[in-house]
Amino acid sequence: MTSEPVTTTVELAGKAYTLRAAPARRLSEVLREELGLKSVKVGCDAGDCGACTVLIDGAQHCACLTPLAQADGRRIETLETVEPELSARLQQAFLQHGAAQCGICTPGFMMAAIELLRADPTPDRPTVEAALGGVLCRCTGYRKIVSAVMAVGGEGADPVVPSPGQAVGRSIPRVDG
Amino acid sequence: MPDVTGAYLRPETLDAALDVLASGDVTVAAGCTDLFPATERRELPGRVLDITGIQELSGISVEEGGLRLGAATSWTAILRADLPPALRALQLAAREVGAMQIQNRGTLAGNLCNASPAADGVPPLLVVDAEVELRSISGTRRLPLADFLTGPRRTARRSDELLTAIFIPQTALAGNSYFLKLGARSYLVISIAMTAARMVIEDGIVTDAALAVGACGPVATRLPEVERALVGHPLRADAITDAAVARTLSPIDDVRADAGYRSRSAAELLRRTVKALVTPSERAA
Repeated sequence: MTSEPVTTTVELAGKAYTLRAAPARRLSEVLREELGLKSVKVGCDAGDCGACTVLIDGAQHCACLTPLAQADGRRIETLETVEPELSARLQQAFLQHGAAQCGICTPGFMMAAIELLRADPTPDRPTVEAALGGVLCRCTGYRKIVSAVMAVGGEGADPVVPSPGQAVGRSIPRVDG
Repeated sequence: MPDVTGAYLRPETLDAALDVLASGDVTVAAGCTDLFPATERRELPGRVLDITGIQELSGISVEEGGLRLGAATSWTAILRADLPPALRALQLAAREVGAMQIQNRGTLAGNLCNASPAADGVPPLLVVDAEVELRSISGTRRLPLADFLTGPRRTARRSDELLTAIFIPQTALAGNSYFLKLGARSYLVISIAMTAARMVIEDGIVTDAALAVGACGPVATRLPEVERALVGHPLRADAITDAAVARTLSPIDDVRADAGYRSRSAAELLRRTVKALVTPSERAA
């Protein structure tokens, strides 16, 4: 049985968006296909990878595990809609710490980090690890990501990656191992 | 009679939900952390009864004779609640269910009704003698959790019943508790074994002991033989022997661990669990 489309209203970036879609549909699908929010990555559709992490009323959720009906009337945040100043600082920290490689996990990590940093601008390492624990990365080995998030709050290791344009011909310090 | 037709129903009252359940085949949905992984489709299949719109199913309240935990209470809500030390094990388990994304969605009753042998919520609820409340249009009944869970993915819930609450009797809210989970990593992992313990210690003597192990048999289980060995003595973790623990468990070999490893791990986890729940002055060894 397929659920019939119903009218659903979600709040995105301070505006109410009304759409018609099946209430049993995964929120990740609706955000990507109906609303064009392609920062929401779909890795596993099973809550195992966290790539689709979005904030619902400020708390991190796997969008792939959320039926659209449960988003009705709620405030949904993706990397496209969060405060630009904080996401820019996070992007800069990820860049400087080499925290993004293939990139599919990056929006999920950033959304998990944004929930944390709003509540605790200078988190310690165990707090960061717990907040990011629901997102998998198969490239970086996590240390760089945790360091990047801590750096946003002014803590953690110094940046290890040279600024763009300065890397050619120089040896770059190895971060892991 | 409310409308019970339609493929996706999200009533706001319990009575309406019970009418839907009485009307025939329907899947009960809350956090969907087990339902969505069971399908590769873009939407939940079949007829769905979404109970997350029913306010009275969420939250924790004191009632006569004990504590009532609403069925749709999330793990995050459990983690943040002010609960007695006897439920510390449940709060420690809440922190280890999946990760924050899962804890914000997953519910207590979902964990029980999904009836995975590795459900993290079960051992902490077994050590507080939890009962489940099942309601249908024909009435309400209460079952001990140990009787509700009948096998892997099997429960005593009839198809017209809704698990509406978990009840903890006051007598089982005495003492302190602790929980440990063994997995391959800290988050997003299915348990190899997990243990919960609740102890009442008076004047240095264990007067009540409740131990439970999960993921080491078709359903999580209490360990009455080991519990009896602890009561009446100063707490000694080494009274929890590998042999006595192994006699109670029936673990399987699977992709996460073999049976022998599970059994030995469960015994060691139990020893660490009871050591962790007492203060140094209460500890004999």
